[in-house]
Amino acid sequence: MTGKRRWGWLLGVVAIAAGLAMMAAAFSAAGTKSRAPSNPQAFPKLRAVLDTIDYLDPQQAYTGQSWWAMWNVYETLLTYRHVEGAAGYKLVPGLAQSLPTISKNGKVYHFKLRKGLKYSNGHKVVASDFKWAIKRGFLATGQGVGFYTDIAGAKAYAAHPTPNGNISGIITNNKTGSITIKLATPRGDFLTILALIFAAPVPGGTSPDIQNGTIPSTGPYRFKSYDPNHSFVMVRNKYFKPTKYIPRGNPNEVDVSLVGDADTATQMVINGQADYSNAAIPPDRIANAQSKGRLKLRTNANTYYFWMNINESPFNKLKVRQAVNYAIDRGKMQTLIWGGLGKPTQNVLPPTYPSYRKLNLYPHNVTKAKTLINQAGANGAKVTVWTRNVSDAVDSATYYTSVLNSIGLNATLNILPKATYYTTIGNVATHAQTGWARWLEDYPHPLDWFDVLLNGNRITDQDNNNYAWYTNKTTNKEIEALKKAQVLTPAVNARWAKVEKQIMMQAPWAPWSNRTFPEFFNKSIPAKCIHVQNLYGIDLARLCK
Amino acid sequence: MTAFVIRRLIGMVLVLFAITVLTFLIFFATPGVDPARQFAGRNPDPTTVAAVRHQFGLDRPLPVRYALMMKRLFISRDLVSYGNQALEVVPAIKAATPVTLSLVTGAAVLWIVFSILTGVLAVVFKGTLVDPLLMILALIGISMPVFWLGEVANLITLDRWHDTFLFSWVPPNGYVPLTQNPWQWFLHLIIPWITLSVLYIGFYARVLRADLLEVQSEDFVRTARAKGLSPERVMVRHMLRNSMITFVSLFGLDFGVLVGGGALLTEVVFGLPGVGKLTYDSLQTLDLPVIMATVIYGAFFITIMSAVVDVVYARLDPRIRPT
Amino acid sequence: MAEFAFGPDEDVVLAPGEATEQIAGKSPWRLAGRRLLRDRVALGALGLFVLIVVLCFSAPIYAHHVAHTVVFGSNLNGTTRVNGKTVEVIQQGGGKLGIGENPIGPTWQTNYFIGSDAQGRDVMARVLYGGRASLAIGVGSAAICCLFATALALMAGFFRGVTDSVFSRVMDLIWAFPVYLLAISLSTVLLSQTKPIVNPASLWIPTLVIAVVYIPYVYRPVRGQVLSTREKEYVEAAVSQGASNLRLMFNEITPNILSTVIVLFPLMIATTILTESALSFLGIGVQSPHASWGTIIQDGQDLLYTRPWVAIAPGIMIVLTVLSLNVLGDGVRDALDPRAKVRETKE
Repeated sequence: MTGKRRWGWLLGVVAIAAGLAMMAAAFSAAGTKSRAPSNPQAFPKLRAVLDTIDYLDPQQAYTGQSWWAMWNVYETLLTYRHVEGAAGYKLVPGLAQSLPTISKNGKVYHFKLRKGLKYSNGHKVVASDFKWAIKRGFLATGQGVGFYTDIAGAKAYAAHPTPNGNISGIITNNKTGSITIKLATPRGDFLTILALIFAAPVPGGTSPDIQNGTIPSTGPYRFKSYDPNHSFVMVRNKYFKPTKYIPRGNPNEVDVSLVGDADTATQMVINGQADYSNAAIPPDRIANAQSKGRLKLRTNANTYYFWMNINESPFNKLKVRQAVNYAIDRGKMQTLIWGGLGKPTQNVLPPTYPSYRKLNLYPHNVTKAKTLINQAGANGAKVTVWTRNVSDAVDSATYYTSVLNSIGLNATLNILPKATYYTTIGNVATHAQTGWARWLEDYPHPLDWFDVLLNGNRITDQDNNNYAWYTNKTTNKEIEALKKAQVLTPAVNARWAKVEKQIMMQAPWAPWSNRTFPEFFNKSIPAKCIHVQNLYGIDLARLCK
Repeated sequence: MTAFVIRRLIGMVLVLFAITVLTFLIFFATPGVDPARQFAGRNPDPTTVAAVRHQFGLDRPLPVRYALMMKRLFISRDLVSYGNQALEVVPAIKAATPVTLSLVTGAAVLWIVFSILTGVLAVVFKGTLVDPLLMILALIGISMPVFWLGEVANLITLDRWHDTFLFSWVPPNGYVPLTQNPWQWFLHLIIPWITLSVLYIGFYARVLRADLLEVQSEDFVRTARAKGLSPERVMVRHMLRNSMITFVSLFGLDFGVLVGGGALLTEVVFGLPGVGKLTYDSLQTLDLPVIMATVIYGAFFITIMSAVVDVVYARLDPRIRPT
Repeated sequence: MAEFAFGPDEDVVLAPGEATEQIAGKSPWRLAGRRLLRDRVALGALGLFVLIVVLCFSAPIYAHHVAHTVVFGSNLNGTTRVNGKTVEVIQQGGGKLGIGENPIGPTWQTNYFIGSDAQGRDVMARVLYGGRASLAIGVGSAAICCLFATALALMAGFFRGVTDSVFSRVMDLIWAFPVYLLAISLSTVLLSQTKPIVNPASLWIPTLVIAVVYIPYVYRPVRGQVLSTREKEYVEAAVSQGASNLRLMFNEITPNILSTVIVLFPLMIATTILTESALSFLGIGVQSPHASWGTIIQDGQDLLYTRPWVAIAPGIMIVLTVLSLNVLGDGVRDALDPRAKVRETKE
C-alpha cells in the first residue's frame, strides 16, 4: 500500500512541475510591440515574407517573387517607372542615357550607356558588360535565353556557346559607351524583352555558374546574403546614384524570409514579426486577416483558363466549345476558388493591356449550353479533364468537371503531379482533351500571349505551349504580321483586339479569371506608403513606415 | 562477435546499394519528368532544351546516368537538385539534419520518460481503475493519425485558444536554430514534440507493461520482495532492467526510422525544414537527385540501427545467440 | 482368504443418454472462440467496428434519403434550408472589401449535419463515402498483404535454402526502404503515367502499394513461426508417415501459424488504414473522384481555422476505427494464447 502511495506522490510532483513549467513559458511569451513611427522616408529595416524564390542570379531568375527583389538590384538598359497604374508600363531609360534609336526596318537598335556608372563593388560599368550578360545567359542555359535568339548571330552562338565566342549582332564600344543591337528578324516586343532582368549587365567575365546574390549590382540595393530556401538580405548600394526614374529607396535594409506556409506567413505579419507578406491567404481567413492588418489587393497580368484541344473529340466541334463557355458560371467561380479575389473574364489578355476590349461573347446560360451539346450530338461523350495537384487548380477543375457533366458530357477528373503536368499536356501523344492552365505574363506585350499560346505556327509535338492545339489561317497570319509592329499604337492595338475577338469566337479556351493577389501588411505600414507597380508588384523602394 | 558485426556491415552496404538501384529505376520509369524541360524555362527553344539535356548528361544511357549520380553524391559531393540548380543536395541534407535531430531527440526524451512512467504506473496500480484508463489512453494515442493530431494541435494552439494564457506563447509554425536563439528553438518545438511522442508513448507503454507483467511473476522478483526490498527498488533495480530488452530494441529501430526522415508528416504539418520535409518536397517536384539522397539517408539509418539493435540485443540477453 | 478387490467398487452407472454421448475434445480454436466471446471489451470493439462498416457502406442511403445531397462534383450554387430559411451553401465573406468565402458551418440538422466543404458538398455524407474507400483499401490491402506474406513465409520457411535466401533478401530490401518513402514513391510514379496502364483513379493503386510495403512486417514473424513449427515432433511424425510437401505445408504447418496471422490481421488493418489516410492526405493516395478519410482531412486543411469540422470529423472516424481494431486485436491475441507475447506491429 505504501508503495502505491509513494508512486501517487511522485505523480503529483511531476504534474505540478509540468504545470509550473507551462506557466513560466506562458508568462515569458516573446511579446512584440509595434514600432513607433519614425522618419517617414528612410527607415531602418523592412521585414518581408515571400513564399519562395527560384534564383537571385539575373540570368536565371524567372519568378515574379525573385523579380520583385531583383528589380531594385540589377538595372537594365531600359526599365519601368516606379508609378502606379498604366503609366507603370511605360518604358523609360534605365542604364541607358535615353530610349534607343531604331532603324527604319526595325532591325537595328542604338543605345548609349550612361556615364559614370559603377557596380556595387566600385568597378565601372562598361558597354561590353551588356554583351557579356547576353552571352552568359546562353552559356548558363538560363531560362530566358529563348527571348534573345532573334539577335543576329545568337542562334549560332547558342548552338556552341563559348566564353570567347562572339554574337555578331551585338556591337559595343567601351570608350563611347555605345551599344548597337542588330536583329535577324524584326520583333515588335524587343524593347520589352530588353527590359527583362535577363538582360541586366553584369561584370564582364562573370562565371556562368549560378551565383545567387554575389554578382555586383547596379541598382539602389545589393544582396548582402542568401540562405537557400530560408532567407536573403538586401542592403543599400553605396555606388548607386538615383535618377529621374529610379529612386533611392526608403528601407535601409530589406530582410526577406522565405516561408512556404501561407498561414504561418500571415500570422507573422499579424504578430508583428514581419511587415509584409505576399502569401496567398486562404479564402476563409481573409476576413480575419483584414481586421488584423492592412490588406492591399493587386491584379497583375494573368489569365486562368480551360483549354480545349480542337483536335480531340468532342472539342473538335465548335458548338461543344461554345457550350462550355456558356455553361461555366464565372462569377461564382471567383468566390469558390479565390474567395472573391479575382475578376471574371472571357478574354485572352488581362485588362492591364491597352488593347484590351472586354468580351462578353458567352453570357452564362446553362440551357443554351445543353442545347448546343445536343445539336453537336455530343451527349454522353467521354471527357477526361486534366489538372495539376495544386489546391486552386484542383478546385477549379473539380467545378469544371461537374459543369461538363451537368450539360450532358461524361467527364472525369485526372490530377497530375505538379512536376509533370505541363510536359504531359504539352505532349501530342497524350491526346489530352481539356484541362486547367494559367499564364502569367513575362513582359507586357500581347506577343507574349498570342505568339506563345495561340499561334498555330509555333505548335510543337512536345513541350507545346498551345494546349488547345489551336491554329487558324487568318489569326496566324495576323499574329505574324503584328510581330513586326514596333510600337503599340492605337491602330496596332485595335488589330490585336480584333485578333482576340476572332480567336474567342472560335473558343479554343474557356477563360474564367484574372486573379487578384492579396498583399498583406502589418498595421505599422501606413496605407499611403503602399504603392503597386503593375509589373513588379509592391514597390519596395517606396514603402515607408 | 567481430565476424558477426562485419557480416552485418557487408549486408548493410549491399542492401543500400540495392535500394539506390531500386529508387533510380522507380523514378526513371516515370515518363513526363524531363528535368531538361524544367531547366529550360517556360518557353524554350528545342535547341535550348537539347543543350540543357546534354549539359546534364540526360542523354546518356541509364547505367551511366546512375553511375554519374552516385559519383556526384558520394565522391565529389556536388550533386545538384533538378528543381533548383543552386541547391546542392549534400549541403541541403546537412542543413536539414539538425532540424530533424532536434525534433526526434526531443520527442524521444518525452516518449521514453512518459512511456516508462505510464507503463510502470499501470503495473503498480494494476487492479484499480488507473491501469485500464492508462491503457485506453495509450490505445487512443496509437490510433490517431499523427498528421491529424498535428492539425488539431495547430488549430487549438494557434487559433482557438491562442489568446488564452495556455497557448499565447506558441509561436507560428517554423524552426529557429538552437545556435540562433535557444529559447525560441525550444518554444517552436514543444508542440511538435508532444504531437510526435503521443503515438510512441502509447505504444511503448503497452510494450513495457506487458513485459513488466511477465517479469513480475518471475522467481527473482519474488525473491527480491521476500528479502524485504521496497517496491520502488524492486521495480527500478530488478524489474525494469529485465523488461527493457524489447523496449530498447524497438526504440533503436523507431529512432533510426525517425532520424532518417520518418517524421515526414510531423515536419510537413508543423513546417519544420527537416529531412522529412525535404524528402516530401522533392517527391512533389519529382526531383530525382534529392529523392535519391534522402532515400539513401533514411535507409542508411534504418539498416544501421537494426544492426546496432541486433548487437545490443545479443549483449543484453545472453540467451540470444547472434546468427 | 480375504478378497481384496482392487477394481472399482461398483460399476458406475451412467445416466440414461450419457452412454451414447460422444465425449468431444474441444479444439484450440473452439477454446479460443469461447475466450473471445467472454471478452466483453473485445466484443464491444468488434461491435463498434462492424457498426462503422455498416454506417459507411450505407453512405448512399444517407446521402439520398437523409441528407438529400450529391457528394461528388461541385455544388457551388447550392442552397439548403436551415431552420426554415433558405441559405446559400457557400457564403460571401464579410469585411469592407466583401471578399473571402465561407462554406456553411454545422447545421446539426439532416442537411449539412456538420457543414459543407469548399466545394459545397455535405461533409457528413462525404465522410461516410470516404469511409467506404478507406475501409475497403484498409481491409483489402491487409488481406492481400497477409495472404502473400504468409504464402511467401511458408515457402521460405519450409523449403529453406535458396528460396529462403532470395525471399528474405527481397524482404530485407523492402523493409530497409523507409516505409512511407516507398509508399509515396510507388504511388507518385504510378500516378504520373502519361499513358496510364492502370486508371489513376482506381482504388487498386493505393491498395496494392500499401499491401506491398507492409509484406515484410507480416513475413518476418510468420517465417519465424514456420521455422519453429517445422522442428516440432508432429511434423516429423508426418514426414515419417510419408506425407508429401504439399500435405505437410497445408495440413501440419499452416494451421499452427494461422494463429499468428489471425492476431496480426486486425493490427495490419489498423496500420493500413492509417497509412492510406497519410498517403491521401499527402495527395497521392485516393484520387478524385473518390474520397477517403485522408482526402477529406486534406480538404479540411485550408478550412481548418474557420470550419474545423471538415478536418476533425474524418479524423475522429479514423481514431474510432483504428482503436476498435487495436482492442479487437488485443482480444484476439489474448483469446488465442493468453500467455503469448507477440511482437506487435504498428504504423
